[in-house]
Amino acid sequence: MFLINCPYCGEREQSEFSCGGEAHISRPKNPPDTSDDQWADYLFMRKNIKGVQFERWNHSSGCRQWFNVVRNTSTDEILGIYNMGEAIPEIDGENPKTPSGEPEIGSGNISTSFKKK
Amino acid sequence: MILNRENAVIELKDQTIKEYGGIEFQEIAFAQKINLRGNSNNKSFMTLQGKLLDAVLPTKSNTYTNNGKIKILWLGPNEWLIVDEDKKNNELFLKLEKSDSHEESAITDVSENRTIIRIRGKKIFNLLAKFLVIDLDKNLSNDSSVVQTLFVKVPIILVRNNSNVVEIDLYVNRSHANYVYNLLVDGTKNLDF
Repeated sequence: MFLINCPYCGEREQSEFSCGGEAHISRPKNPPDTSDDQWADYLFMRKNIKGVQFERWNHSSGCRQWFNVVRNTSTDEILGIYNMGEAIPEIDGENPKTPSGEPEIGSGNISTSFKKK
Repeated sequence: MILNRENAVIELKDQTIKEYGGIEFQEIAFAQKINLRGNSNNKSFMTLQGKLLDAVLPTKSNTYTNNGKIKILWLGPNEWLIVDEDKKNNELFLKLEKSDSHEESAITDVSENRTIIRIRGKKIFNLLAKFLVIDLDKNLSNDSSVVQTLFVKVPIILVRNNSNVVEIDLYVNRSHANYVYNLLVDGTKNLDF
């Protein structure tokens, strides 16, 4: 549970929002020329970062508007909020150091065998 | 077209006012509600709607405007809910629909979607605080406040009326109205905290 500062409604509780997953994933400009691997990468592959991640959120129980959030997935600390279409802001934050040194990309403490290209 | 005249809350039939723990409940069942969508940055759209409704569409978030006949609630930067409590038919909707010449706007009659439970009393905030996660003092402090939030898990709209006693209109889906009302009545016990 944490608070999110909706750019339109103000500070509200997380249960009013829906997370739309990783932000800034653009659709391939020419789908017929896109290989299956590239298409699968666009559709399914997500970074799942343990640390600072750029996400899309929707205030589904409020104004129903989409916006971008920069969130530290380890601590749920919100480092920035900006509107759709705006440039990615510079974030002054480091991914947390973990004792076992697992990779940033992975699920929790279990490292995965793939990395996003 | 005549609107559905059945109350959604069984205990509040025929404009009955019930009182529990110093808080009054009444259902405003037959208000006409129109959902209006359009670009608030489009000056001609805003001017046209303002003339038709004889009221200004609110552009400030979480507020409503009131011209004495209708209320216009802010639902989003490009969405409003027009509420006409007195009208028992859809005259206003037909008027807006007839003059809708904007390509980037949409008008929908949503009168049957929600009902209004009017709550009046000094300890309303104590009652609502049992069910809501929002900061009521911050979000419902002004007489023209509108808040869209969740009541337990039911989507609701709260509108603070301009009244001497604290009075709040709770807009809720008709199908959830009894559930919400029963929870509110149950919550009126032990309000002195």
